[in-house]
Amino acid sequence: MGLAGAIGEAKKGAGELVVLAFLDDEPRHGYELTQLIEERSRGALTFNFASLYATLYKLEERKWIQGRWVEKPGQRRRRYYRITAEGREVLAAQRKEWRQFFELIRDLAGVTYA
Amino acid sequence: MRDRQMRHWRTLVRERANREWRELSLDVVDELACHLAELQTSAISRGASDGEAQQIALDALNSASFLELSKRPRARPGGGYVHDVRVAIRQLIATPVVTTVAALSLALGIGANTAIFSLVNSLVLRTLPAKEPKQLAILTDTSPQSNDSWTYPIWREVLRRPQLFDGAFAWGQRRFDLAGGGVAEFADGIYTSPGIFDTLGVLPALGRAFTDADDRPGGGQDGPVAVISHAFWQRRFGGAADTIGRRLTLERTPFTIVGIMPPDFFGPDVGRRVDIVVPIGMVTALQQDRNLSERDWWWLSIMLRLRNGQSAEQATTALRALQPQIRSATLPLDWPAIDRERYLKDGLTLVPAATGNSALRTRYQRPLFTIQIVVVLVLLIACANIANLLLARATARRHEWSVRLALGASRWRLVRLMMTESLVLSLIGAGLGFLVARWGSQLLVQQLSTQTNAVFLDLSVDWRVLGFTTGITVVTALLFGTAPAFRAAGVAPMEAIKDQGRGAGGDTGRMSVASTLIVAQVALSVLLVVAAALFVRTFEKLARLDLGFDPTGVLVVSMSAERASIEPAQRVAVFERARQAVQALPGVEQAALSFVTPLSGYAWGNRLEVSGGVPLTESARSARRNQVSPEFFEAYSQHLVAGRNFTERDRDGAPLVAIVNQAFARTFLNGANPIGHTLRRFPVGAGEASLEIVGVAGDAVYRRLREPIPPTVYSPVMQSNAELPSSEYNLSVRAAAGSLPLLPRSIADAIGGVNQDLALTFRPLSDQVSASLTQERIVAMLSGFFGGLALLLAGLGLYGVTSYAVSRRRGEIGIRMALGAAPESVIRLVLGRVSALVGIGIVAGAGLSLWAAQFVSTLLYGLEPRDPATLVGSAGVLAAVGAIAGWLPARRASRIDPAEVLRDS
Repeated sequence: MGLAGAIGEAKKGAGELVVLAFLDDEPRHGYELTQLIEERSRGALTFNFASLYATLYKLEERKWIQGRWVEKPGQRRRRYYRITAEGREVLAAQRKEWRQFFELIRDLAGVTYA
Repeated sequence: MRDRQMRHWRTLVRERANREWRELSLDVVDELACHLAELQTSAISRGASDGEAQQIALDALNSASFLELSKRPRARPGGGYVHDVRVAIRQLIATPVVTTVAALSLALGIGANTAIFSLVNSLVLRTLPAKEPKQLAILTDTSPQSNDSWTYPIWREVLRRPQLFDGAFAWGQRRFDLAGGGVAEFADGIYTSPGIFDTLGVLPALGRAFTDADDRPGGGQDGPVAVISHAFWQRRFGGAADTIGRRLTLERTPFTIVGIMPPDFFGPDVGRRVDIVVPIGMVTALQQDRNLSERDWWWLSIMLRLRNGQSAEQATTALRALQPQIRSATLPLDWPAIDRERYLKDGLTLVPAATGNSALRTRYQRPLFTIQIVVVLVLLIACANIANLLLARATARRHEWSVRLALGASRWRLVRLMMTESLVLSLIGAGLGFLVARWGSQLLVQQLSTQTNAVFLDLSVDWRVLGFTTGITVVTALLFGTAPAFRAAGVAPMEAIKDQGRGAGGDTGRMSVASTLIVAQVALSVLLVVAAALFVRTFEKLARLDLGFDPTGVLVVSMSAERASIEPAQRVAVFERARQAVQALPGVEQAALSFVTPLSGYAWGNRLEVSGGVPLTESARSARRNQVSPEFFEAYSQHLVAGRNFTERDRDGAPLVAIVNQAFARTFLNGANPIGHTLRRFPVGAGEASLEIVGVAGDAVYRRLREPIPPTVYSPVMQSNAELPSSEYNLSVRAAAGSLPLLPRSIADAIGGVNQDLALTFRPLSDQVSASLTQERIVAMLSGFFGGLALLLAGLGLYGVTSYAVSRRRGEIGIRMALGAAPESVIRLVLGRVSALVGIGIVAGAGLSLWAAQFVSTLLYGLEPRDPATLVGSAGVLAAVGAIAGWLPARRASRIDPAEVLRDS
């Protein structure tokens, strides 16, 4: 994806990037993801839960992540998602693009990011 | 608790999706519900009240847009088929009555088909459990009855020409008596040559096979030896490890068990399990009357393994080249010239025998095929019924489908969903049907067995049975699922929503399909009812046939002196003493000796010449024979119509006399009084004795119920030494009322008092009569049952379709009645339609029956296959069923309250 594409997709892509990034550590279920996102962004970023699942399904359809129903003793049956090898490649590529994008914004507009 | 919470959120998610006209897959609904439940639970754990927690989750749900979710983003495992199956199961559970009725009719239909097929399979299709069974062939000849029994000398001649084959063996069936004396205890076995093991390629699983050295009178090194079946080993010896080397008494002779066959071995005859295998050489030791060199003792079957790559035709050609030598070396010298000529001429023939040899097959192949067709037709009727049920339900579901279509489901997808439903239903039916089949086929095999003939069929499930069941399951699903599936595909998107549950639009199509199905059902039912009526009437006619004697209260005791070391000339005297001892027992009204008993399967006959008789062709001269004691006619309640009975004076040394039956007088003397005429064997040999006819007996059934009563000649047992001294005679005992069950014990004791070594078998004569009707009974029973089932299904189908039509036309009927139509005219309206359908069905069914009749004529007795009374009767039965099935909904229609209908519309 070229740089211009990344900007165009930035808004939509941010959600996907975040989800992929959180799944990079370990498999998680949907509720856990919403909690994590809220926590780590200190409430600045929230997902409408239907959009979260829409994102998850889209990623799953692209075979970047894979969901599986898991039933643990004493727990509700949950669908856990784990990142696939292909997903990891995409994540790495996206991380790089986003880094380039922010560097560009910093250079052009003097914006810095944490 | 957690489950209830999940259910709650699932319902809310679904409702929300419905409000947005979104379709969510089961998985998505589950996952969203799970999420909301987590949200609720964690809110509570953070200190929110139940109500607040619920509200938090509800807000999340309400603020969500399902737009993105409903695009079916997820690729379903198995291309969505798993999902389809789930939907199908949910649909089937949602309509339990329809599902149960359909599954049960399928279970019965598929089960019956599988049961009959597994019999056909094991009797007709399954190859012998042998090495390369396709190379096996059986020896027959070109005589009109294609003889397949051979003499021992012929077998020796064949065996001497090993260039003809790759292995060969001969065998003769025998029921071996295991008892040490007195009441016989039988096991099915064969006498066979050692080649059986190599030729079939089946060796004993334990111990050894017997060899040429064992196949000698008196046996080889180990003395008389036997190989036993796995089943017999388990039954008799409890599978004991030390069975090899143990003793087994056969016909009072000790044998050593040297081998145990593998479990799947049942011998070369299909339908009969060989428990004991004994070398042919032992025959003369066990049956002292017999001599292996006899040239007209036809008792062996011969099986060959063809040379590699050789066809049965090529092997026959090779055999025919050697036939003159084989035939002339074995020619029965005392035969009349005409028979000897035929003997030399009839061409030896090898026929493929991959499926083994089977008398049972010859007898039951046609009845079984007939019943197979019957059950296929029943399944078709059941399919028509289910199709109609599903069509009715399909109409009720038009709403659901148009919603699915409006949401973007393809028509193909709807067809797939419906077909999946049908397939699931069919699979449930097949699963249950398989159980029905296991039980049913075993029951049928039991029904085939009689006291003297234990039927064994290997009913294990093989690829053919599995393939058959799978095949009919799929075909069945296609048959009853196609119409409803295409009905679903024909729905217009949104159209059904508009006239939800009310309009008649699109209903005409369904009714015409339903009507066609009903006509087909009625037609097939007529065919099945006609068939059932023909078979039941055949059985009834045979069961009620005037036998010419009275079988009730008669016990047949067969006495064998084979192992009793009595001089042949003295045997009859011993049997007579046994008879007298039994006659003297309390509870015995009459005891009579005879060589043959009626309907026992045995027969004895000659071609005869009568003094002053009408000229007859050679084959028309055959007559049945029997030797009887003077008490015979009284014991059997068989009338003497002229002349005198035998007396004690009719014995060896006195002039030879005979009693003939009326059929004899008709055949040989054109109905003239036979008394005073003499008869002799034809063609007359040197020193042939002639018998003077002294009495005429009433006609009585001889060997088979179906045979016209044959000309029969009775001669006195006490004069048997002149002609045929046998080692086995039957004692027929007429018991006083009620004493029959108690007799065997006292009879065995009485006969034991005369001679301990006579082997005895007991069998009520009525059992013998009933056993001779086994085939007809089974065919009548099965066709009757399935005919009844077909009627029931057709009745239900007609009732269902008519009820449905009435409910669809409720509005119209209500308006008619509001406008003054009388209830009778409403009944006429409904019944008119039913009668038209049934009428067309009956006419079609009658035509079908007339055509199909030609195939069952050989199974009938005393009836024309196109018997008009049966046809008319069956049509009447169908009309009556149609009338009842139509009357109930018609009456309901006539009671519709117009006011109510108008209010509702």
